[in-house]
Amino acid sequence: MRSPFHSEPEAFRFVLVLILALVPIVLAAALGPTWLALVVLAVVLGGVAARAAQLRMRKLRSPDLLVKMAPPHLGSAAERRVLVVANDTLSEEALLCEVERLGLAPRMHVLLLVPAVITPAARLTGAIDSLLDQARARMQAALDRVGHDNVAGKVTGEDPLEAIEDTFATFVPDEVIVATRWEQTAGGLEPRLAGLVRERFAVPVRHLVFEPGSAAQEPDEGTEARYQREFGAAAARKFGLRALAGAGILAALVMSLVALARTTPTTLAAANQAAAALPTGAPSALTKVIELKVIASGKKGPDGKLHDDFTVTDFHVTVGQPLTLRIDNTDTVPHSITSPEAGVSIILSPGTHDYTLLVNQAGKFEWHCAFPCDPWSMAHVGYMRGFITATAA
Amino acid sequence: MLVEDPDGEAGLAIASGLRFAGYAVAVCPGPRGHGQCPLTGPAGCAPAHDADLVVCNLGYEREVAREVLRELRTRYPSTPLLVVVPPEIDADLREVLDSCHQLPAGATPEQVVAAVQGISEHAAEDGASA
Repeated sequence: MRSPFHSEPEAFRFVLVLILALVPIVLAAALGPTWLALVVLAVVLGGVAARAAQLRMRKLRSPDLLVKMAPPHLGSAAERRVLVVANDTLSEEALLCEVERLGLAPRMHVLLLVPAVITPAARLTGAIDSLLDQARARMQAALDRVGHDNVAGKVTGEDPLEAIEDTFATFVPDEVIVATRWEQTAGGLEPRLAGLVRERFAVPVRHLVFEPGSAAQEPDEGTEARYQREFGAAAARKFGLRALAGAGILAALVMSLVALARTTPTTLAAANQAAAALPTGAPSALTKVIELKVIASGKKGPDGKLHDDFTVTDFHVTVGQPLTLRIDNTDTVPHSITSPEAGVSIILSPGTHDYTLLVNQAGKFEWHCAFPCDPWSMAHVGYMRGFITATAA
Repeated sequence: MLVEDPDGEAGLAIASGLRFAGYAVAVCPGPRGHGQCPLTGPAGCAPAHDADLVVCNLGYEREVAREVLRELRTRYPSTPLLVVVPPEIDADLREVLDSCHQLPAGATPEQVVAAVQGISEHAAEDGASA
């Protein structure tokens, strides 16, 4: 991320924006109730997040890279250095023949860079070593097959583009060959990589496509442009979904804080008074516990598919009297019982926990899960949606 | 060295020659339209700022290209400019080209590299004598 203090005008603009953002929050906190300050804070944070998302989406859709760079040639003028970037295509005979042909040229140095494409899932599950081992095995087999001293190999777990950038500082290639499939395969390089390298480095870049049993092919300009568009659109979509999920969590948190600020301390006092008024030994409303579960893909819908559900979706409470919900969220992600009309926002962490449901006005209120989960369930009562009925004491 | 050339292939050919002559290079296609060059904005252009010499082959029948030359002259007056000029030079362009090194349009990459080397050597001699 670019530092906001990169230059004097940028630092001035950053401080100005910070002051303009803080003024309404401080004013709301000083002059109004706590919940108003929280709402203003949420609005300001939302505005900042929306602007950041807008800038990020714009960057993802149209990379603003105009200037290509390259270090000076390394070695004598007669020497040439070619960087070949490949992974799954190393098993293709046509690519090995190309590397062999390069290796035969006099004063030629070839570096075979093999990025082990490590997905976020592999990082989470610790499968990095096995991916690196697979890449090493492919590289060694290719080097054995080519058998020239001037062809070296390197395996990397870095992002392929960053690895290429590092190689420009050490190997200093005069040409780059990026070998991919027509479409990205699991563990394979992205076809868009060649375009990214071409945008950044002032050396000739060849994109060669290898498919099993066929000769090397070069994508035309239209295909390269399509790779670029698809990459930008896919990255923007992924970022948009993450931003949406983040906004959902933030909204749920802010609603919880607002609900908390609005209900305490008067409602707690009312609840304590109600508890004190109950006769000894009588079944207490305060001690009543409703047990339920949240289950991912736990209930069959009319469409015949399994959907996320709450085992209880209708809650009956007395106005001003807390009801304990013992909820076992068997899912791995949080869910919620959210009803802005009832002033209820309960975030359910995975596992079994006790929560308090408290409503301060009579009526029948619809609630829903505010966390993006099963879209069908979120839209249907009896699954991730239901009612809270509050009756006067 | 900063090479400004809207033709990607031609820019790469000059860059390749300069790299083999021992220079680090940056290649820029120049502004797409009026006011779109970072040189004309407050942030400035880092490659131009860091360059020891700028090779300009932007096609000076376009006003945006002349704008880039004017900005380079104003912001980096001590950085030598090697400009590939069209056969017809009007009075306005002649004024912009004042104190720039010039090569005729159609110069080969080898000629550009030779001119850059000549300017660099001259600048080094001037520096040594000063």
